[in-house]
Amino acid sequence: MTRSPRALAGAAVLVAVLATAGCDGANHAAEAAGPAVALDEALHAALPEDVREAGVLTVANDPSYPPASSFGPDGRTIVGFEPDLGAALGDLLGVEVRFEASPFDTLLDDLAADRFDLVMSAVTDTAEREQQADFVNYFRAGSSIVVGRGNPLGVHDLAGLCGRSVAVEAGTVQVGLLERAQARCALRIDVQQVPTNDDALLELRTGRADAVVADYPPAVFVTTDPRTQNSYQLVSDTQYEPGLYGIAVAPDRTELRDVLTTALQRLVDDGVYQELLDRWEVGHGAVDAVTVNGALPAG
Amino acid sequence: MSRSRQTRTGGTRLFAAYAAASLVPVVVLGAVLAAGIRQDAVDRALEYGRAQAAVVEEMAIGPALRGQDLRTGLTQAERERLSAATDLAVFRGSILRLRLRDFSGTVLFADDGAVGEVGSLPDYPGGEDVVPSTGPAFTLAAAGGTDVALLDGDGLAVGRVIRVLQPIVADTSGRSIGVLELLLPYDTVAAEVEAATTRTYWRLGAGLGVLYLVIGAISWSTTRRLRRQAAQAEHDALHDPLTGLANRELFARRVDAELGRGTPGAVVLVDLDRFKEVNDTLGHHAGDQLLREVGTRLSATVRAGDTVARLGGDEFGLLLPGLDAAADAREIVERVSDALAAETVVDGVPLAVEASCGIAMHPADADDVETLMSCADAAMYQGKRGASGVVVFDRRCTAPSAHSPALQLEARRGLEDGDLRLHYQPQVDLATGRTVGVEALLRWQHPRRGLLGPGEFLPALEQSGVMGALTEWVLHRALADCAAWTAAGEDWTVSVNVSVRNLEAPGFAATVARLAAAAGVPPSRLHLEVTETALPADLAAASACLADLAAHGFGAALDDFGVGFASLSHLRSLALTEVKVDRAFVTGVDAHAKDAAVVRSLVELAHGLGLSVCAEGVETPEVADWLRSVGCDRAQGWHFSRPLPWPELTRAADLVPALPVEVLP
Repeated sequence: MTRSPRALAGAAVLVAVLATAGCDGANHAAEAAGPAVALDEALHAALPEDVREAGVLTVANDPSYPPASSFGPDGRTIVGFEPDLGAALGDLLGVEVRFEASPFDTLLDDLAADRFDLVMSAVTDTAEREQQADFVNYFRAGSSIVVGRGNPLGVHDLAGLCGRSVAVEAGTVQVGLLERAQARCALRIDVQQVPTNDDALLELRTGRADAVVADYPPAVFVTTDPRTQNSYQLVSDTQYEPGLYGIAVAPDRTELRDVLTTALQRLVDDGVYQELLDRWEVGHGAVDAVTVNGALPAG
Repeated sequence: MSRSRQTRTGGTRLFAAYAAASLVPVVVLGAVLAAGIRQDAVDRALEYGRAQAAVVEEMAIGPALRGQDLRTGLTQAERERLSAATDLAVFRGSILRLRLRDFSGTVLFADDGAVGEVGSLPDYPGGEDVVPSTGPAFTLAAAGGTDVALLDGDGLAVGRVIRVLQPIVADTSGRSIGVLELLLPYDTVAAEVEAATTRTYWRLGAGLGVLYLVIGAISWSTTRRLRRQAAQAEHDALHDPLTGLANRELFARRVDAELGRGTPGAVVLVDLDRFKEVNDTLGHHAGDQLLREVGTRLSATVRAGDTVARLGGDEFGLLLPGLDAAADAREIVERVSDALAAETVVDGVPLAVEASCGIAMHPADADDVETLMSCADAAMYQGKRGASGVVVFDRRCTAPSAHSPALQLEARRGLEDGDLRLHYQPQVDLATGRTVGVEALLRWQHPRRGLLGPGEFLPALEQSGVMGALTEWVLHRALADCAAWTAAGEDWTVSVNVSVRNLEAPGFAATVARLAAAAGVPPSRLHLEVTETALPADLAAASACLADLAAHGFGAALDDFGVGFASLSHLRSLALTEVKVDRAFVTGVDAHAKDAAVVRSLVELAHGLGLSVCAEGVETPEVADWLRSVGCDRAQGWHFSRPLPWPELTRAADLVPALPVEVLP
C-alpha cells in the first residue's frame, strides 16, 4: 500500500508538467510611465490668456512618421517622441496638449487659418516656411534614401536616383531636396508625391516606386522594425541636408512661442528631453539649445 | 505448497497494485491530451476566423473606404463600393453577416441593409444579433484588438459560426476608423476538424492502450521475477545447498511446528563417525560425495512424513512425528543406521559409514526446540562414547552435552570470572616413595553444577577460539603455584597437559619459555604432557615445537600411551623425556597377565629409548608394589592422593602411604 501514494505523486507531477506546457505565461508588459514633470506656475502664468482659459493646446500632426508620430496599437491614439514631448510641455505649462491627425501638406495652412494652436509633425524649419510661421526648434535630422531589401537597383546616393521613380510625402523638404538633385542629373527623377510617408513606402513596397526619400529617423524605423525590415533597406547612414524640426507657431503669437521656447529649454536642461528621445532611440538628433527660427540655409 | 500459493497471492496483489498505479498516470495523460486536442481544434477554428476576417478587411473593406473617415457617415459612392466588394462573398455564403460600425456602435453598412442605431435594428431570431457596443468584444475591437468567438449554442439557425470583431484600418497610416463585425460559417470546417479530432482520439486511445499493456507486461514480468527470486531465496535460506535437505533453520521450524501440534514424536541427531578422516585422507570432494550419499540414504529410509535435515558438518537431524514410544523411534533409527552402514564407494574407495544417533522424545523429554535438540545431542554423544550407535535420551543423564554452545559460552565466562581452578595430583617416585612432581588438572567451579572435571567442558572449548587463552592461563597458574611451593621448600616438578593444537600454534615454545621466566621457574621443573590420542598424522609442526621446548630444557611426556593411535615411531622421533602408561593397562596389572606383560614391555621399551615411565591410575598398594618391581619410575593415582588444590597439597604429600622399602642385600 505504501506504493500507491508514490504512484499518485508521480501522476501529479506528470499532470503538473502537462499543465505547465499547456499554458503560456501571460506577459503583460507594463507601459513605462514618462518622467515626472512638475507644473511651473510662472510659465503657466506667462501663457497667453486665451490658452490658459481653454486649458488646452491643440497640435496638428501627420501620424505617419514613426518614431516621431504614428498611430498606436489601437489605431486611434497618436504615439511617438513628439506626443511625448508635447505631453511633457503640457505638464510643465499646466495645460493639456492634444494631438490631432491632419494631412502634412496642409498643416501650415491650417495653422494660419487658426484651426490649431501649434504644428508639431517633424516639420523641418526652412526659410521658406518661416514666411508662414515661427519655429521653436527641437530636433535635428537630415534626409535618407530607403530602397527595397537587397537594393536591387544599386542606389547608393542621390546621384543614383537619376532616372528612377522616387516616392515622397507631399509638402516635405524632400520634395525640394529631389528638385535640387534633379539639377545634377542627366535623366529625370520621377518624383511621386503621395499624402503620407506610409503611402510612399507602400509605393516602394509594391514596385511602383524605386526609392523613398524621408527623414533619417523614420527611415531607420522602417528598416529596423520587425514587421517591415524584410521589405526595406537604408542605402547609407548619410543624412542629406540636415535641418531642424520646429514646433510651428503662428507669427502673431510670439508670447506663446516664447513660453514654449523657455519651457522646452527647461526640459532640455532637466534631462527630460534627452530621456524621452532616448526612449524612442533618436537621442542622436537632440539639440543642445532650443532656438527659434534656426533654419539652416538650403544646400 | 501452501507457501508457494502464498507467494503467488502476494505477487498477484503486487501486480494489481502496479497495474492500478500505472493506470492512473495513463488515464490522466489521456484526459490531458484529449482536452489539449479539443482545445487545439477550437484554437484552429478561431485562428481560421481571424485570418478570414483579416483578409476580408484588407482586401474588400479597406480599399473601398481608403482614406475615409466613418465619423461623417458613408457616402453613396462608398456604399456602392462596399457592396461591390462584398456582394459575391455574401451571396455565396462565405460571409454569413457583415456589418460596418463606427465607434459608437451604430451600424453604417450591413450585408442585409439593416443599418442605424443598435436599438433600431430588427431582431434576428437566428441568433446573429448585433454585438452590443458596450460589451467586451466591441470594446476590444474599438481599442485596436481582434475578438474571435466560436458560437456553438442552441438557437443558432445558421449553424455553428465564428464571430469576428476587428478594427477597420483603411489606409497605410494604421489609423482605425471603425469596427468590422463578421459572422463566418464554421460547419464545413467543423466537420473536417471533428473528423480529424476523432481520428486523433482513436490514435491516442490506441497508443495509450498499447502503452498501458506494455507497462502491464513489464509489471507482470517484474513481479513474476521478484516472486521467483523470493521463492528461490526462501528455499536457499532454508535448505542445505550440498544435499538439498532442509537446513538447521528449517529443521528447527518444523520441530517447533510439530511441538506446537502436541502429538508425540521423536527428534534424532545423526552424527557420522570419523567423517573428518574421510575429508582429510580423500579430500573435500569425497567428503561432499559421502554427505550427499548419506542424505540420499537417510531420505530413502525414513517414512514419507518424516523430515531429514543436514544440520551442519557431518551432523544430520531426523524429525519423526507420530511416535508414542521410544522403542518405535529406535526401530526406525536402527534401520537408518543399518542403511548408512552399508558399504559405499567414494572416489573408488569403499567406505563403511558409521553414525552415532541420539533420540529424544517429545513431549516426554522436552517441549521446546532447544532443549529437545540438546537432549538428542546429549544422547548422540553418549552413543559416540559408548558401544551402542543408537541411544535414546535418558533423563537421568542430566549433564548437558560437553559440546553444547551454551556450555561454550558459560565456560568462557567462567574463565573470565576466575571460576577455573587447578588441582594437582602428586606423582610419586616409586623407588623412594617421595613426591617428586605433580600433574596440574583443570577444574571448573561451576556456579550451579559444582566442581566439574575437564571432560565435562573441555570438548566445548576445543572447538572455540578460547583454547589458546585457556592454555596460557593454565600455564601461568601452574607456574605461579610451582614458584609458590618452591618458595615453601618443595622441589616438585609440575606437569601441564597441552593439546597438539597448542604445539602447532606458532610461537608456543617461546610463550612457554616467557611464562616460565616470568614466574622464575627453571625449565626443568615444567613438564608438558601431550595426549597420545591427539597426535595427528602430520607431526612436523608439533615435532618442531617439542624439539624447541626440549632445547629450552622443558620436559615433555607422552600422555595416555597405549590406548590411542601413537606409533612406536613417535617415541623414537619426538623429543620426549617421559612416557605415561594409560590407566587402562595399569589398573589390572596385578590380576591380568596380559596387562602385566604390556606394562612390563612398555617400561623396558621406554627405558631402552632413554625415557622415564610414569604409571597412571594406581589405586591399590599391590599395583604400586608391582610397578616398582618392574622398574617403573613414577606413579600417580588415588592410592597416593586425589588431585587437590596447591595449599592442601603439602599435607597430602606428607600422607602418601609409605612404600614397603625392600632392603637390598
